[in-house]
Amino acid sequence: MMRDDTLHEPDQALHVEDLTVTYGANPVLWDIDLDVPPGVMCAIVGPNGAGKSTLIKAALGLVRPVAGHVRFLGRPIGQMRGQIGYVPQRHSVDWDFPTTARDVVEMGLYRHLGWLRRPGKAEHARALAALAEVGMQDYADRQISQLSGGQQQRVFIARALVQDAPILILDEPMAGVDASTEAIIIALLKKLRDAGRTIIVVHHDLTTVQSYFDWLVMLNVRIIAQGPVSETYSADNLRAAYGRHLAMIAVPAEEPAP
Amino acid sequence: MTAIAALLSSSIVQTVLVGAAILGAISGMLGAFAVLRRQSLLGDALSHAALPGVCLGFLIAGGRDLGSVMAGAFATGALAALIMMLIVRRTTLKTDAALGIVLSVFFAVGIVLLTVIQSEGGSGSLGLMTFLFGQAAAILRSDLWIMGGIGLAALMLVLALWKEFKLVSFDADFARAQGFPVTVLEAGLTVMVALAIVVGLQLVGVVLMVALLIAPAAAARQWTNSLGGMVLLSALIGAASGAGGALVSATTRGLATGPVVVLIATGIVVVSLLVAPGRGLLWQAAATRQARARISDGRVLATLQGFARMHDDAGYPSERGMLQVALGAKPPAARLASLESRGLIRSVMHPPETTPHWELTTAGHTEAAALSGQPGDTAKGGTE
Ligand SMILES: Nc1ncnc2c1ncn2[C@@H]1O[C@H](COP(=O)(O)OP(=O)(O)O)[C@@H](O)[C@H]1O
Ligand SMILES: [Mg+2]
Repeated sequence: MMRDDTLHEPDQALHVEDLTVTYGANPVLWDIDLDVPPGVMCAIVGPNGAGKSTLIKAALGLVRPVAGHVRFLGRPIGQMRGQIGYVPQRHSVDWDFPTTARDVVEMGLYRHLGWLRRPGKAEHARALAALAEVGMQDYADRQISQLSGGQQQRVFIARALVQDAPILILDEPMAGVDASTEAIIIALLKKLRDAGRTIIVVHHDLTTVQSYFDWLVMLNVRIIAQGPVSETYSADNLRAAYGRHLAMIAVPAEEPAP
Repeated sequence: MTAIAALLSSSIVQTVLVGAAILGAISGMLGAFAVLRRQSLLGDALSHAALPGVCLGFLIAGGRDLGSVMAGAFATGALAALIMMLIVRRTTLKTDAALGIVLSVFFAVGIVLLTVIQSEGGSGSLGLMTFLFGQAAAILRSDLWIMGGIGLAALMLVLALWKEFKLVSFDADFARAQGFPVTVLEAGLTVMVALAIVVGLQLVGVVLMVALLIAPAAAARQWTNSLGGMVLLSALIGAASGAGGALVSATTRGLATGPVVVLIATGIVVVSLLVAPGRGLLWQAAATRQARARISDGRVLATLQGFARMHDDAGYPSERGMLQVALGAKPPAARLASLESRGLIRSVMHPPETTPHWELTTAGHTEAAALSGQPGDTAKGGTE
């Protein structure tokens, strides 16, 4: 087969068209059309089970869609491997795996190393630098099972950073981390965005969307809204995405101080 | 002692020992990956499903020829794996149910075939029974070449694809997103586990084979924190269990090898679960005791006072669970009792809760205030 070199929508960091994904008979994603321009920090929000993780996995080619196509900077994913940093949901792996924080970060370099070659001095140094970026340099040789949830999340982010990829995709990086870790992660992502990277984040906390992000995609099986946060973060759109549960989510009930 | 020396110098015993050690090492090495990938039960299904293949190989070759028996075992094992995959994909049954069904059906077919072959008699048909529970004494010198060859091939493959296997075992989604051929790598690991089972059958037997896959890996995980260490140690434990089991069963008339191998391997697991540094249960119990011993009277008082201040209630009743969290370990009952007898704290009930609570007495508040400022006696200390 000849390699197709014609670019389709090269001006978009991520371009999704007519994407439909089903598990069994039920559509989990239905006719998704989506564009994320380069250099933005984009949140994907939607209720539980809306298909946010599935959208990311379909874009990365981890689940096979029944229809539609995906392009990154105009190219299909097969030509963009290694140029997209992926941070899966933290609970998708077993953290009791016998390995260290630095070892996990080096996994981000395996592709670049190629077959048969082992990580050497250069890779160790790059992994340490990536750990330093997330403030985890002192934990390089720590067993990953002995890290807190927030530290594990930062190791995962370092594994994506070490690739130096122009596009970063993160699935709920702020889930279950403490406030200081969240601040570290957001500051880092904003810095990367300001350096010209495209950051796409599945986010679960509506209260912080406006302060963290500049681009927003609202999803509930279908696309509800997409565009700059200032234009899309509206009561109507939120109601369309979250329905009756909105009151619970957007305005958290005041808890009596202990 | 001289009896053992004489035994060890016998070439038959040497063959059996070397064979058993090789088989144990292969199982241990590949079992480490199977355990990390949560495929232990698949190993159990594959080994039971190998029995009809063993019988078919025997029928086709007309005797107990290791090559054809192994080919047959591999074929029915692979067929079983395929059927399981289809059941999970095409029906609503979950993996565990599919495993259970396939395991028992294939094993039943195997037992029927075994009985038919035996009722027809013929030379060596008795030898087939050894595949149920294993018989290391049946290992021939010519078998060593097959076992050694398979072991070497598996070792080379694991070394060559080390980082890919590590990545796929830890995070298959990430590996796929990076463009690695995850399906091929996973299939490779599964096929190697199947090979380990097939070669290990005559040592341990189809019924207990899964233990030789899981036990060495489970024991090894306790002692090391690196994948390389775990795989190496698992192979060593597998080899030691295999050789030990072969030696015991060879010197005891009529004793099958499989159960002895499994008992040795399981013994190592139990010891490892108990005493391994860091992860062992006894080790953890000792660490907890040390933490409790470090809880001084002053820290208990200071913590109670801290809770009282936090709640603006001098008589605030603190539950033991709260003390445990703040102090990093459960305060010993004797320590609380001695504080109570000195009139510094008071045991109180706090309905509707039925658990014991403690509050500071006035004397206790004075004592806590006098002690505060003393180094190491802060309420928050000791949580990490
Ligand atoms: N492997 C799977 N098999 C079957 N259904 C799945 C699978 N993964 C996810 N689903 C279903 O697809 C829907 C979307 O899931 P997901 O993309 O994880 O949602 P989100 O990340 O938005 O919470 C959910 O209803 C979920 O139950
Ligand atoms: Mg999700």
